[in-house]
Amino acid sequence: MTTATYDAIVIGAGHNGLAAAATLARKGKSVCVIEKNATVGGMACNTTLANGVQAPEIAHLLYNLHPKVKRELGLGTAKVPLEVRDLPAVSLSQDGNHTVIRSGRAELADGRPHAEAAAFDEMMRRLTLFAGLLGQLSTKSPPSLEDGLASLGTLTELAGLAKLGLDLKRMGKKDMREFLRVLLSNAYDLILDDLEDGPLAGALAADAVRGAFAGPRSPGTVFTLMYRLGQGGGAQLPMGGMGAVAAAFEAAARAAGAEIRTGTGVARVLTENDRAAGVVLEDGTVLSARAVLSNTGPMPAMMLAGTEHYDVEAVRRMRNQRCKGAAAKVNLVLSAAPEFTGLRLELAAGRLLIAPSATYVERAFNPAKYGEMPANPVIEAVIPSLTDPEVAGGGQHVLSAVVSSVPYGLEGGWDEAARERLAAVTIATLEKYAPGIGALVTESQVLSPACIEARTGAPGGHWHHAEMGVDQILTVRPANGMAHYRFGPEGYYLCGAGAHPGGDVTGLAGRNSAMQLLKDGVL
Amino acid sequence: MGQHDRYDAIVAGAGHNGLTAACYLAKAGLKVLVVEKNDWIGGAAVSRSLHEGWTYSNCSYVCSLLRREIVRDLELPKYGLQVIPYEGGASFSRDGDYFAYMSDHDALRREVSRHSAHDADAYDRFSQTVIRQCRFIRPFLLRNAPDPTSLKPRDIGELLFLIKQAHGLGKKELGETLRFWSMSIGDFLDEHFENDLIKAHIAGAGIIGTGLGVYSPGTAYVLLHHYMGDVDGAIGAWGFARGGMGAISNALGACFEEAGGTIATGSGVDRFLVSNGRVTGVALDNGDEYHAPIVASNMDVKRTFLQHTGERHLPGDFVKAVKRFKIRGSSGKLNIALDALPDFPAAPKGAPFLRGDLHCAESLNELERAYDDWKEGRWSQNPYFDMLIPSQIDPTMAPPGKHMMTVFVQYAPYDLEVGGVRTGTNWNGQTRGAFADCVFDKLEQACPDIRSKTVHAEVRTPWDIEQEVGLTEGNIFQGELTFDQLLFNRPVPGYAQYDTPIDGMYIVGSSAHPGGGVMAAPGANAAREILRNIGRGGNMTGYAA
Repeated sequence: MTTATYDAIVIGAGHNGLAAAATLARKGKSVCVIEKNATVGGMACNTTLANGVQAPEIAHLLYNLHPKVKRELGLGTAKVPLEVRDLPAVSLSQDGNHTVIRSGRAELADGRPHAEAAAFDEMMRRLTLFAGLLGQLSTKSPPSLEDGLASLGTLTELAGLAKLGLDLKRMGKKDMREFLRVLLSNAYDLILDDLEDGPLAGALAADAVRGAFAGPRSPGTVFTLMYRLGQGGGAQLPMGGMGAVAAAFEAAARAAGAEIRTGTGVARVLTENDRAAGVVLEDGTVLSARAVLSNTGPMPAMMLAGTEHYDVEAVRRMRNQRCKGAAAKVNLVLSAAPEFTGLRLELAAGRLLIAPSATYVERAFNPAKYGEMPANPVIEAVIPSLTDPEVAGGGQHVLSAVVSSVPYGLEGGWDEAARERLAAVTIATLEKYAPGIGALVTESQVLSPACIEARTGAPGGHWHHAEMGVDQILTVRPANGMAHYRFGPEGYYLCGAGAHPGGDVTGLAGRNSAMQLLKDGVL
Repeated sequence: MGQHDRYDAIVAGAGHNGLTAACYLAKAGLKVLVVEKNDWIGGAAVSRSLHEGWTYSNCSYVCSLLRREIVRDLELPKYGLQVIPYEGGASFSRDGDYFAYMSDHDALRREVSRHSAHDADAYDRFSQTVIRQCRFIRPFLLRNAPDPTSLKPRDIGELLFLIKQAHGLGKKELGETLRFWSMSIGDFLDEHFENDLIKAHIAGAGIIGTGLGVYSPGTAYVLLHHYMGDVDGAIGAWGFARGGMGAISNALGACFEEAGGTIATGSGVDRFLVSNGRVTGVALDNGDEYHAPIVASNMDVKRTFLQHTGERHLPGDFVKAVKRFKIRGSSGKLNIALDALPDFPAAPKGAPFLRGDLHCAESLNELERAYDDWKEGRWSQNPYFDMLIPSQIDPTMAPPGKHMMTVFVQYAPYDLEVGGVRTGTNWNGQTRGAFADCVFDKLEQACPDIRSKTVHAEVRTPWDIEQEVGLTEGNIFQGELTFDQLLFNRPVPGYAQYDTPIDGMYIVGSSAHPGGGVMAAPGANAAREILRNIGRGGNMTGYAA
């Protein structure tokens, strides 16, 4: 039995795990990342379909990659190349009268001005302003309430919030009041207070709840919308697919000196008198380290260390965490480029949204609540091959679709038949906007939330490892009293999306946890 | 009554909040007039005899939230108010079983264990949390909601009080509280309980009167809103006002008149008189005009400003905010005169819990589906109801041997959808009848002989409640109880302390903090603000003195 010793071991080579490893390695720590799969990247990865067509297996776009992470890890530099293309969002309409959102402005697909452009501008101004404010909280550990409000520790953290408070004031009473009003409100009302219930409203509503187990009428969805707008909300397509993003994070980690072992997962975390001491791999290999970071979901992380290291309250909170995945992935190989009614090819390369109204989005979620398959799902589709011909060849194309409101706990379970049903629903829905697209499909790949859980280990197949509800963010993410990345045994840290600030390919959870670990003087 | 009488203050609307405000103002020595469009007072706290010999509490029907400080200040018992607590309640299931709630802890524990041993322990944890949250929130009900954007010493003081209270919760509770307030009642119950019937029984209090589903975040707070009251100090207890809910309004009315106040019924406010940004009085539908430097509106904020105040008198932003304020009709009601007490085959004969609130909801999903119907403009095909037979405890409600049944129904839309069109006027004899049938079918699950024992039934849709009482969309809270409409956001950010953009004009109804329910807190708090603003704060009697 071989043993090696590191300063820190990271469980899981998702982008957050790699960000944590890179951050620690850059501080001269010896770090080893353990990945159970053959490839790194977690949900950010490519898959090869029929005759060599490359598809983004799960995640397919970048929204929220944080500039701080980008800078610190040198992503997109000569050493760590990462090329991205900004995509316009196109909210499809069956009558061909599509709405285009380009760098925060609304217009019609045929170039005519959008009747609600001004109202939309004002809404985006407010929301991005508010999102920016909240963004300040995302690069630090959230304020802890551990020692009540009077303790010095808390007060210094609250002092850290002073800038936020100041900026709030600086906004002026009007915006500050609006901020405090909408913060916990629901996206549906916010949107329809100022917009007609059409494709533009639908696009916003869909973005507010993508990956969430919620409809736009659920209070708290304005927060998730603002979270999505954290970096302005513009979507970027990575050249070479999401695999290229994973590769960049990997390169950054390796360049900083981190070691990465793939193909064998971690069986359990070793502890010595309630201190993390290393890990045992599935093949029995023992690796010792002074710190262990887990990129898994919160509950799996707890199981790896053993629940005996947590008080009963903590275990109960983990068990009660809301992490029902509600987004599935459907990849279609097409024999030719599809034609969307009234949509120029240049726009067909954009981020295509099937969300014709906010009401449609709310209705789409209803069946998910009862473990049923949506009949008319909300879809976010991209055709990377239109922007990046490399990924497909011979005139073929690949359509990558995120299908929302698909329940993890499907009535009757996720068997082959269920996956085929989902593929059929997806194609049927696309047909309404791109007649004839069904006939072009030569191969389809369906990943239900259950498949995503099996493939990546994300609890419930949830994109954010845990629902981004107001009751599970900031100080109570992943749970009350566990918000500082410290996770049970001393030297054991949570570095995945289940920790603050949460999901999307931001790299922040990984980076923040590494910083917290160093701040705590574990190494 | 003369055409141009002058008063110190006029209250528009004789709902329980309007009357409460009027009482405090009159007791402080002001000459106060209350105007009411109906021929009777009470707004939604009334006792009506709509069928020979029977008395209906035909809007609000049980009492718990009424702040005891106010009852004490205004000596309401002296004016005939008697609240009789009732015991327990039950939810009946299709399979002929039931879950009964009883206030006796041991009895309740036995009953819960009958359904699930696990839930018997969970119940104690659940009630501890809820009681703790109630104790936390109750002190805020009779205080101003601080304006976080203001640097006025008083607002900062209120903020500090809030922080002090929060700190008082201690370490762990603080986080739990943040979580509780932002949770859905469904998730909260799923965390504690395993038995569907028990969950459904408790969940009702999280949706009553709101346009939210049991799985909508924020409904845990709504539950709190129904648990934070008390009867004679028993927190969370509910009771009947002897003689119907009108007894509350009548006691307030009597108190007001004895304090020298005047009530003018039968003609409502046509418009509030405003000149140079100051209110000068009211003009009634019958042409009468009354003048006063202070006018307090008991009407909800939409009705007050969008229907009876010229928009030209108001800042554009304010009007926009009022239009944006959500007041959604989501509940209806049946008031039934019974020939005799109906049979409840599932329950032991004369079981005490039959004198409490009865339901037929069996699972959270069933309740959530009821909400989905409402979103589409339909009444719930499988509705939730909160049914009571007060005449068992208060014989004054029906002739000897006969009974009166009140059935609160969730959900019923205001803008009913018929043939793709959603409007309140779709509520007609036919749709009203179909709605009632749907409710009766569900009632038969608990008492199969209900139809044969019914001698008269009044069907109340959100539309009817709006037309008669004046509540916009028939919303019982004068505005949804969601976070964007609570505390300093209620009803309009920047005007959350009962004041309005018009000098001398105030909001005293449930549209203001702390919101709906027969609580009388908005009325009393508003009176306190009015007296402070005119430098008569010293004259305030009772709790706020």
